[in-house]
Amino acid sequence: MDESIKRAKETSRKEFRSEPLEKIIDDLIAKQVASSPSPLMTSPYLEVPDKMVMTYKYSLGGISRFFVDLRDKGVLSGTICTSCGFRFFPPRVSCSECYGDTEWYEVNPDGVVITSSTSWYATSEFFDKVPYAVAYVKPSNADTGMLQRIDLAGRTVVEPGTRVRVVFREKRNGSVSDFWYVIEG
Amino acid sequence: MGRVAVVGTGQTKFEARVPEKTYYELAFDVAKEALNEAGITHRDVDSAVYGIYNDLFERQVMPDTFVHDYLGFYGKSGTRVTTGGATGAYAFRAGYAEVASGLSDTTIVIGVEKAQDVFDWAQYKSTPEVLKSIAYSSDMTWEYPLGVQAASSYALLATAHMRKYGTTEEQAALVSVKNHGNAKNNPYAQSPMDITVEDVMKSRMISYPFKMLDCSLYTEGASAVILMSEKKVREMGISDPVWVAGIGSSNDRSFPGFRSVNDFLGNYGDIADLRGHYEAARIAYRAAGIQNPLKELDLAEIHDAFSFTEIQGYEAMGLAHPGKGGKFIEDGIPQIHGDLPVSPSGGLIGAGHAVGATGVMQIVEITKQLTGEAGKRQVEIRNGKGLAHSIGGPGSSYCTVTILEA
Ligand SMILES: [Zn+2]
Repeated sequence: MDESIKRAKETSRKEFRSEPLEKIIDDLIAKQVASSPSPLMTSPYLEVPDKMVMTYKYSLGGISRFFVDLRDKGVLSGTICTSCGFRFFPPRVSCSECYGDTEWYEVNPDGVVITSSTSWYATSEFFDKVPYAVAYVKPSNADTGMLQRIDLAGRTVVEPGTRVRVVFREKRNGSVSDFWYVIEG
Repeated sequence: MGRVAVVGTGQTKFEARVPEKTYYELAFDVAKEALNEAGITHRDVDSAVYGIYNDLFERQVMPDTFVHDYLGFYGKSGTRVTTGGATGAYAFRAGYAEVASGLSDTTIVIGVEKAQDVFDWAQYKSTPEVLKSIAYSSDMTWEYPLGVQAASSYALLATAHMRKYGTTEEQAALVSVKNHGNAKNNPYAQSPMDITVEDVMKSRMISYPFKMLDCSLYTEGASAVILMSEKKVREMGISDPVWVAGIGSSNDRSFPGFRSVNDFLGNYGDIADLRGHYEAARIAYRAAGIQNPLKELDLAEIHDAFSFTEIQGYEAMGLAHPGKGGKFIEDGIPQIHGDLPVSPSGGLIGAGHAVGATGVMQIVEITKQLTGEAGKRQVEIRNGKGLAHSIGGPGSSYCTVTILEA
């Protein structure tokens, strides 16, 4: 047997003993490696299947309020600096401009597209979503724009300057993809 | 600060994939070449700076430590720099600071990247995993979950430029035609091609307004330079090295949606303008004593990760007025025989984008051009000055501009 395939099979077998989440990847790799002709046979250099998998339980710290408000109330929250008045959206608990403290405020549902791009190619995680538009949207009572998806509604391009309104997902889990914007009018 | 000279260069061919070399083997090859060119050995090096962008690409956290070991640099200082697409340039800046400060007399700067060892086993190709490894550089809380990636991150800036100034896709396509064409005279280039504006316009849409031929490709390779203090240059009897005349760096806000406010960089424009790049150029020109870059520079390597980005770069580098970057290429000024050749190497679109190595490759190119060793792509040297513009990060937030002088 080709040396690189033997090595690959050993790697896969060894990894079968790891966590269940990783097993899905291991099974996929093992199946591909066993297929004929194997991709590993084409190179004179030893090629080895591998993966780097990390799992997390991360804290959103001071910006948790944004995601809790989003999940539980279906509202967008920004912050305003109590010293210099800068309005942050996405919110920050401390002001990057003057190092003052900020207060929460409710961000309006309507806004304007600062700039937008429609993606036709993506990573595997988003491949089934193409074409999709991402845009910086500036709400009517914010100083800054936040990245968000725009419902293309049959279009291919969203022009800067387009007026949009927020829509919330019915079942929300407290992530930035719990909402998106639709074009007004 | 002391003067700093570039006294040796090394470069591998930029290729889509180099299965015959690991990242430390690639680094070794360019280190050996650069040391030979400088007439020194690895024992003569005081410190090393490594430009390696992405741990996921290298399948190794702290990859620099294993390069340092492989190159036999134990006992010497080694530092890694990682600043996205601008990694090589910021590594060069750190190496410059090593020598200019007097900490080292001789420093080696090595940029290296293995971009296509990542592999998507489900789709049976590397591209989706390459995109993912890069997309993880976007903010993981606010932006990554929305499907933003390198191309759309830069496309958002290009769309704003089109809206504000009327820049067209055809003007951007001229950049792609120029750089693929220039690459034909560069034996180290990945993508030499004879193409037309129509070819670019007809190529597959990636992220509007970027088509496939507007984009640089993923590349593996390495580049190195040896930096030396003026005192050491005299000691070694090196007669006419290339000097670092000035470096400017500026990192704009990482969330481009914040570039709509009239802040410290607001004089340079908004999200349509590469504000930090204007600032980096201002700092570099001041250090180099350059008043009129279009007249005083003999060439520039401008970071064309995407064709539109080069147009925005013309403006930020003060070669064209804001909004006139499209006209600048239409008028032929940055062509190889134009008034100011831009990216005779082929740039990233033509020569390739081996992320950590790219910024160092630009320095190698300018050095070879200023010393008349650029072969078939040699441009005319009148003032002995060249500029390298290197950028990276979400929304092109990082920028380093380096001026070399012969
Ligand atoms: Zn403040």
